[in-house]
Amino acid sequence: MRRSRSTWPVLIAATTLTLAACGGDDGESTTGGGGGGDAAASDYPTETINLIVPYAAGGPTDLAARTIGSCLEEELGQTVVVENREGASGSVGMQAMIAGGNDGYTLSLIAVPASATNPLQDDVGYTNEDYVPIAAVTEIPSALIVGEGSQFTTAEEFFTYAEENPGELNVGVPGTTTSQAMELRRLAEEYGVEVTPVPFTGNAEMTTAILGGNVDAIFINSSQDVLENIDAGSFVPLAVSPAEPVDYIDAPTLAESGFEELTSSVSVFGLAAPAGVPDDVVSTLEETVDTCLQKDEVREQLGEQYVPDEFIDSEAFSARIDDIVEAYGPILQE
Amino acid sequence: MDILDGLGQGFSVALDPTNLLYVFIGVLIGTVIGVLPGLGPTATIALLLPITYEIEPVTAVIMLAGIYYGSMYGGTITSVLLQLPGEAASVVTTFDGYQMAKQGRAGPALGIAAVGSWIGGTVSIVGLVLLAPPLADLAVEFGDPEYVALTALGILLVTYLGTRHPVKSLAMAALGLLLATVGQDLITGTNRFTFGSISLFDGFDFVAVAMGLFGVGEILYNVEKTEKAQALKSKIKDIWPSRKDFKDSSGAIARGSVLGFFLGVLPGGGGVISSLASYGMEKRRAKDPTRFGKGAIEGVAGPETANNASSTSAFIPLLTLGIPPNVVLALIFGALLLNGVQPGPQLIDQQPEIFWGVIASMAVGNLMLLALNIPLVGFFVQLLRVRAGILAAFALLVTMAGVFSVNNDVFDMWVVLVFGIIGWLMKKTGFEPGPLVLAFVLGSILEESFRRSMLISGGEVSIFFTRPMSGTLFALMALVVIWSTVQGIRRRRRRSRPSMPGEEDLAATGTTAEPEGTPGYENTDDAAGAPAGAPREGSGSTGAPGSTASKAQDGGPGPDRG
Repeated sequence: MRRSRSTWPVLIAATTLTLAACGGDDGESTTGGGGGGDAAASDYPTETINLIVPYAAGGPTDLAARTIGSCLEEELGQTVVVENREGASGSVGMQAMIAGGNDGYTLSLIAVPASATNPLQDDVGYTNEDYVPIAAVTEIPSALIVGEGSQFTTAEEFFTYAEENPGELNVGVPGTTTSQAMELRRLAEEYGVEVTPVPFTGNAEMTTAILGGNVDAIFINSSQDVLENIDAGSFVPLAVSPAEPVDYIDAPTLAESGFEELTSSVSVFGLAAPAGVPDDVVSTLEETVDTCLQKDEVREQLGEQYVPDEFIDSEAFSARIDDIVEAYGPILQE
Repeated sequence: MDILDGLGQGFSVALDPTNLLYVFIGVLIGTVIGVLPGLGPTATIALLLPITYEIEPVTAVIMLAGIYYGSMYGGTITSVLLQLPGEAASVVTTFDGYQMAKQGRAGPALGIAAVGSWIGGTVSIVGLVLLAPPLADLAVEFGDPEYVALTALGILLVTYLGTRHPVKSLAMAALGLLLATVGQDLITGTNRFTFGSISLFDGFDFVAVAMGLFGVGEILYNVEKTEKAQALKSKIKDIWPSRKDFKDSSGAIARGSVLGFFLGVLPGGGGVISSLASYGMEKRRAKDPTRFGKGAIEGVAGPETANNASSTSAFIPLLTLGIPPNVVLALIFGALLLNGVQPGPQLIDQQPEIFWGVIASMAVGNLMLLALNIPLVGFFVQLLRVRAGILAAFALLVTMAGVFSVNNDVFDMWVVLVFGIIGWLMKKTGFEPGPLVLAFVLGSILEESFRRSMLISGGEVSIFFTRPMSGTLFALMALVVIWSTVQGIRRRRRRSRPSMPGEEDLAATGTTAEPEGTPGYENTDDAAGAPAGAPREGSGSTGAPGSTASKAQDGGPGPDRG
């Protein structure tokens, strides 16, 4: 889906507003940074851009960063250096980005919700006010999946059973502070449907657990390997997490299954910069990412199905983060 | 995937020019460090871990595996020629190998070791090909309770097997488990022992800990002992063994292959235990056991075959279950994780190129070693002239640069240095880093699996005993404990009386082989540098390795059943 260019001025204005709004007491530094950047505004970028990936090389975020990084390099005519700074579920990389300065030459590929939920839970050296989301690159929904021979074939059967037998069903999740685990907690607290979340580390472990019948279901990021297992028939999807149905997974959304609020468990990988980055840098980058995401080779590398149908700009991306903070903040700060 | 298809794919990976080059580099490094008493496979692989980050995962594992089995060949050379085991698994080779060299038969000793190693390696590769895929299928059924049982068994065996001081090993294993708890708790998300430091949120970095304990610890320990290379005492001729030699050792090679294969799969097993067990077995079976220790060729052929067979079969639990059975494999496990590959039951299906490629590369690597070893023995011996100090300084530099490159984090360099000093102190005081590192790796698997089991069962401990596989494994563990306790009591009673034939030999081997200050090094297959030219200053250990061998044989087939 291509968006007309004529909306740019509106977006820029909106971005400024968002920045000012979420910046709070950072407002001054935003202006300061913007002011300082004005001189160089028209010709950004003039030097090498560092793109920090807060996760390990070879992972999905790294792949997204390298794909978008090489496209930025092509479009902007400046070298983009991708650097992996993993650790503390992404917090180390976020700190490195913020320390890199807000002149627009240090960027990061953030993975929401983790980058937004980490500072809510612990003192990780940054807050959600310290960075500005620029544009989303990919969006990966979560899916509730059972194994091939499961007694459940629909979401309705599954949730009815769970409601009648609280805590009896074991559902694998990728970690205890992930959006998947938190959605299951909200399922219990807000809708009275109680399952036991069983935290694993990563998709490989969860896949083994469901194939071996050691858990009743898994609530998992529907990355490429999961889609392959669905195609092969060894995974049966019961429900997906986003607000809108997903055309490549044949299952209703959780909202359609009666849990209207449970729409936040979607991984969004996107570009971010330290707070105070000049507005025109943000808009240049927004525009470039949008261009990149329309290129066939970029879409193919990222996984066609994961590129958002509608471009998620800085404003929309910020709104997503605000929603997540609102939904998960109370749970995490318990 | 069909086995033949798999092997076809494997060879297409292994014969790729880049991989071929890395197999060669791996086996060459392996041979060299096998020769050098200061460096063993564990320290070398620990030092090279960060480099693997720059190459393809399959290439990395191919190279590291090459180092491991290559060192089994290299260690033989100095054992035979200088009575100086280049690495721990070759200690037993000094008994008869050096005697053969004194009788002018160094050539055949080295020749039969190379041939035996090749046969042992090949038999193990065939076993790996045939056993691993069905085991991986079975492993998919493994739930958390089974992983609890397996990791607990691994930790138990590593503290018991071949250890002169089970209490010290147990203490180190406990420390390893404790270190594994640092960082974010998987189940509740709370931070443990991080003291607010963000660098500790993910716990200690395995690479940094391993490089510190094995790499830097080993370096410091070796620098202290300025060992001079001894002059070559015997000329090497007629490397190709005679027909009689082959006839004499064929049985030993056959038995060594099978024994090594099973002991390699065993958690806590590996090269050292296999070679000890094989030596004991040959001596027990011999018509004239008095020949042993005086240059019996079976005493070289059997153990050398067994240690190589075990270094190959040790890949089975890693590639099918994701559980490293010994410290070297724990490092290779780390290398895979570093490259974003999760070893486990899914590996064969999802990354067949890694599984089959590594297997095929072993076949290629073993052939290379056979070709390398026979003509180049003289050259390798010259390596002993390199001064330990130069080697150490260079290795330290590589270590520090390497560990920084993994996470670009200065904190990890401090971790290496601190653990390096701890490792050095441990060696000096007779504590082994092996159980610590293995417990550190297995500890997080153990804890996560245990707590998940509790979540799944709703807090019922019975889940561990009612499931057939985990129940069997726990029963096996109980047997190991009872057996070793009973053995210990019987041995103490028998001390004044003549002991069982096999046991006494090994008691004797223990006495000559175990250098002071590194007791129990043979249990973990590492610490290769430990002997460091001090094989004769051994202290009077009483039969501990003997019980090791018999225990190992007893428990050998266990994990295969599981």
